[in-house]
Amino acid sequence: MGSPPLFFNWSSKIVTWLGISAFSFLLLGLYWGLILAPPDYKQGDVFRILYIHVPSAIMGESIFIFMAFCGFINVIWRAKISGMMIKSAAPIGMSFVLLTLLTGSIWGKPTWGTWWVWDARLTSTLILFFIYMALIGLHSTIDDKTKADRAVSILAIVGVAIIPVIKKSVDWWQTLHQPSTFTLTSAPSMSAEMYQPLLLCVIAFYIVFAYLLTLNLRNEVIEREKSKNWVKILLERSK
Amino acid sequence: MTNWINLILRKDLLIAFRRSSTYITPLIFFLIVITFFPLALGPNQNLLSSLAPGIIWIAALLASLLSMETIFSDDYRDGTLDSFFISLEPTFLLVLMKVAIHWLITGLPLLIAASLASLILYLPFESFLPLLLSLVLGTSFMSLLGSLGASLSLGKSAILSAIIVLPFSIPTLLMGTAVVTSAALGQDYNGFLMIMGAMLAIGIPVISLLTVEALQLNYE
Repeated sequence: MGSPPLFFNWSSKIVTWLGISAFSFLLLGLYWGLILAPPDYKQGDVFRILYIHVPSAIMGESIFIFMAFCGFINVIWRAKISGMMIKSAAPIGMSFVLLTLLTGSIWGKPTWGTWWVWDARLTSTLILFFIYMALIGLHSTIDDKTKADRAVSILAIVGVAIIPVIKKSVDWWQTLHQPSTFTLTSAPSMSAEMYQPLLLCVIAFYIVFAYLLTLNLRNEVIEREKSKNWVKILLERSK
Repeated sequence: MTNWINLILRKDLLIAFRRSSTYITPLIFFLIVITFFPLALGPNQNLLSSLAPGIIWIAALLASLLSMETIFSDDYRDGTLDSFFISLEPTFLLVLMKVAIHWLITGLPLLIAASLASLILYLPFESFLPLLLSLVLGTSFMSLLGSLGASLSLGKSAILSAIIVLPFSIPTLLMGTAVVTSAALGQDYNGFLMIMGAMLAIGIPVISLLTVEALQLNYE
């Protein structure tokens, strides 16, 4: 799997199926959450933005952990594909964090009365956004792309330290943002009718990420290997 | 074993003190930034006194960030960095030595400047010693982070190094200002100092190893 042409051939088989399942899961999850789920007793219908806000937040953090994992593999085993994975996943992760911040602001205005507050979780999510940007910026500055992959691998490994800070920030500091609803040890504090569509949305977002990552990776592979023979044969065949 | 310590120590300190701008410019930058705050916010003593911890810390952060630009560039250009990788000593120890000496040159004078700044910003007297203690731990960690940023952006613009390092310096900033403000309120500030020390303790091995990894990228 570490070799780019092998990855490209394997992904050609799964990419359409991945796209269809991503689209259908997303449609299902969002319809269930945004339309079918019962309204909240305190917030009414405005709480429905939860079904976009929470999965985006989970994705923003998971993608960074994924990038740190790929960075670890890249630095130690120098597998080319793991380096390309970081470059392909970074913009997707950054978009999810941006979506989290924007939907959070939109949700905060009617419920808290403010677009922004400098509490622990919001601030640390903003820091995550900056770290994503620093990573993408660093990659674009270095011309030799294999070297650039190694540089962002190092940055991703260092940056993963912010993730536990975000997750635990609502527990450590008494803040405006509500504490975690899901924990590994106790039942969720939300009613079943509300968190079931939420779980489906989280799964849907994961599949969407896998689909977007595959698309990005395929592009990246072609771009990096465009002088190689197998790409030339591929382009000839597709003409 | 102590041979390489003496070598790097003597070489870097000699070069730094021959070119006085190496240790004077971060100081002057720090003082200029400090001066801008009363100019922009007004000379109200109560206001400045309450903002003093934050102002001094931000100025120290920016000054230590900008002074890290040249830590590896001269050595990379004239080939001394190559000998770091060829030598029998573990490279991360040599890099750590360079960072430590760089801190002696740029971070330590900052403590003197910070004392001056605390006078002109009307910092409460109880916060003075905690400020210096937090700055010692904080600027050392900033030197480590700055070396990582400098190694990743070797030969590139200074702003890139700043973008990489600044998000990671936020915990240091939070803890540092927490030390000073809690000292001003008469509370116990040792916990925050211990957290800063813990960050330094984890950072010294981890960040120096990653810095070596990043420096090696330039020799592919």
